[in-house]
Amino acid sequence: MRGATSAPRSLGWLLLPALLVLALFLGSVALLLFHAFWNKDGFSLIYFRQIIDRADYHDVFLRTVSIAAIVAVAAAVLAYPIAWLLWRLPRWRNLLLVIVLVPWLVSLVVRTYGWLVILGPKGFLNETLKWAGVIQSPLPLIFNDLGVVIGLTHVLMPFSAIATLSVLLQIDNRLEEASESLGAGGFETWRRVVLPLSLPGVFTGLGITFLTSMGAIVTPILLGGIRQKMAGTQIYQEVVYNFNMSKASAWAICLLLLSGLGLALLRAVEVALVPKADR
Amino acid sequence: MNAPIVRLGRTASFALLLFLPLPIVVIGATSFAAAGYLRFPPGDLSLRWYVEAATDPRWIEAFVTSLGIAAVVSVLVTAIAFAGAYACHRLRPRWLPAFELVVMSPLFFPHAALGVALVNVLAMAGYLGSATGIVIAHIVCTLPFAWRPIFVALQRIDGEIVEAASLLGADERRIALGIALPLTRSGLVTALLFSFIISFDEVTITMFLTGPQVTTLPVQIYAFIQENASPVLAAISTATVVVTLVVVMLLERLIGLEFFVAHDPA
Repeated sequence: MRGATSAPRSLGWLLLPALLVLALFLGSVALLLFHAFWNKDGFSLIYFRQIIDRADYHDVFLRTVSIAAIVAVAAAVLAYPIAWLLWRLPRWRNLLLVIVLVPWLVSLVVRTYGWLVILGPKGFLNETLKWAGVIQSPLPLIFNDLGVVIGLTHVLMPFSAIATLSVLLQIDNRLEEASESLGAGGFETWRRVVLPLSLPGVFTGLGITFLTSMGAIVTPILLGGIRQKMAGTQIYQEVVYNFNMSKASAWAICLLLLSGLGLALLRAVEVALVPKADR
Repeated sequence: MNAPIVRLGRTASFALLLFLPLPIVVIGATSFAAAGYLRFPPGDLSLRWYVEAATDPRWIEAFVTSLGIAAVVSVLVTAIAFAGAYACHRLRPRWLPAFELVVMSPLFFPHAALGVALVNVLAMAGYLGSATGIVIAHIVCTLPFAWRPIFVALQRIDGEIVEAASLLGADERRIALGIALPLTRSGLVTALLFSFIISFDEVTITMFLTGPQVTTLPVQIYAFIQENASPVLAAISTATVVVTLVVVMLLERLIGLEFFVAHDPA
């Protein structure tokens, strides 16, 4: 509608409901800061000091960041071939897209439950391996970091696949034709033409999956068990069982800062790897 | 010489693609197993878990609550996003890029942090543990997803149509409701269905906000997994998968799924 007759300013009132929603969101962030620095005794840094001083809390944040980083990379690597497949099969793309989108949109508690049924001590995988005589006692696949990584990676793979596919679809077909007419084979064309051009999508996927893993609660609790704490599970525990909003808010702020730091690092790597014109 | 590598790559990619629905398929298979767990070779089939779920008022109530919340959220957030995006589109304020950044900013919050932030504000307003509180929280979370497709659809409208209507005497109300609204139909339907499904399946933020008075289906599934992993859960989970599948198919039939892989013009 660019260039239409000038719109009356009274249209601005239509923004009001959206502004209210945003005010609510910004207000909740302001309250987060307030609770983190003020408790009933006034201004206090007690919960930040606790995070800095306690070695067991260092472990929780270290585990959170490491798991989020591993999951982001694993999801990117495993989702790339899926995106490539959908890109190469345009006639089947809609059907295949449903296979990617439905698992993405199904509640993550349902998908996590599925992994519990598959990987549990008496789960499908262990029972089948026992039945086949491969193992005598069940393999410890869940209630440890491995279970959390498997569950989160699977939950986040569709994100990565979609981010990568949306960039692959931007690639000009003629580039591939040119590469092949110059004598490069299919693999060579992928490695030297397609892969570099698709990297921005891979990086978008890495960012989203890292961020989502950092704030995950359900999958870490169900597949990791209560003792394998992550920042999200600790925050949930402080709010729901200990009613300690100040501590939960301080943790949430540390989680936000670490996530922002991770994204900034990722951005720096992207800037170093991807030519400016493609970013 | 390269053909085998490409063929191998294609086979491996298919295997990875089929890995995505694996847990859902396993749950579906479990829900029909009379024994209540999945084993190999499979045992007898039965609908007993579905009967058990359908006769338990707790599950019926949670299911109805989730559908109701998702319906209210999707209608409200689509209306809010259309009104706001339409105003932004017509007025083109200088601060539009900054405003869009604020609209999208909940996406940059890890869910655990967003959950605490929303608990803080909803507790202060007295809406914690109520359906109203969950609706408000879901609107905050789904606004970015509703805004995007509507704003993109508005930008595709031919400016000359509006100009012509204006010259022929259409007032602002007529332009908004008679021209812009029908021409953004694809964006509106996408926003409606997308926000419905996000709200219906959301669990991480919602579980901060439920209480003894009200709980949603995904949160109740979570609570039951922790208490006792009864096979009823497989039947309930399959029901949520069916709801999700129906909405995705509806979106595919009505609009197509290109929106999800369309490159952001911004």
